[in-house]
Amino acid sequence: MNAAVTHSSAPAAVVVRRTIAASAEDLFDAWLDPQALAIWMRPGAGIRTTEAKVEPRVGGRFEINMHAESGVIPHSGTYRVIDRPRRLVFTWFSPHTGDRDTLVTVDFLPRDQRTEVVVTHEQLPEAKREAHTGGWTGALEKLDAFRGAGS
Amino acid sequence: MGEHQSTQLDGVFNALCDPTRRAILARLTDADARVTDIAAGFPISLNSISKHVRMLERAGLLKRSVNGRDHVLSLNAEPLAAASEWIDRYRRFWEGRLAALDAYVTSKQRKRK
Repeated sequence: MNAAVTHSSAPAAVVVRRTIAASAEDLFDAWLDPQALAIWMRPGAGIRTTEAKVEPRVGGRFEINMHAESGVIPHSGTYRVIDRPRRLVFTWFSPHTGDRDTLVTVDFLPRDQRTEVVVTHEQLPEAKREAHTGGWTGALEKLDAFRGAGS
Repeated sequence: MGEHQSTQLDGVFNALCDPTRRAILARLTDADARVTDIAAGFPISLNSISKHVRMLERAGLLKRSVNGRDHVLSLNAEPLAAASEWIDRYRRFWEGRLAALDAYVTSKQRKRK
């Protein structure tokens, strides 16, 4: 039974995928264009507007301020990799990351006429603390398995 | 997120960071067990197992009931729900953003045509 829960050494990650009927270039550009970001980077019905400022170069900063009824939710980060139209890597800092930097990688994978966009969000706060111990992905798998057990 | 909840999450995630502790939890999803029963299933000392068990207890993931000399452990999955919820928030956030990206880029394409 131990083998089932000790196999992994990958760091923490939330992975979300979506295949979209658009070119990798169009999708990639939407991540670095402040006007585009202001339209689609607007989570939830409670967000009225989003303002985005970007310096689209490696080492450049971005700021995305989401205006909710309760106030402004600031998000910011630094671009680490800008490899159009394949991969975008940036740090991601917000009140929801425990006021610590996390890492987001966006991959754009051609799928016939469409593109699969894969967002990998790593180094979420608690993971960062003990990332060297590994086993985090296993922990997440266990969480999924346990979720039903408590209710 | 409140201070209390954040502290609880720290405890849960730290507890889950170790493969032995995850294996102990997995063992307890099947049935309650005595500490000695659990230790028998691992190639490490009873003393080490006891340390892991105490850490899981502090994280609120285990409940211990004492029956004479037997300490019986049972799983308390409630704190896991909070941890799971915390992770789901990121998942929901990015799922929502990708849906909005889809709508934005595909509507822009239609206008171009």
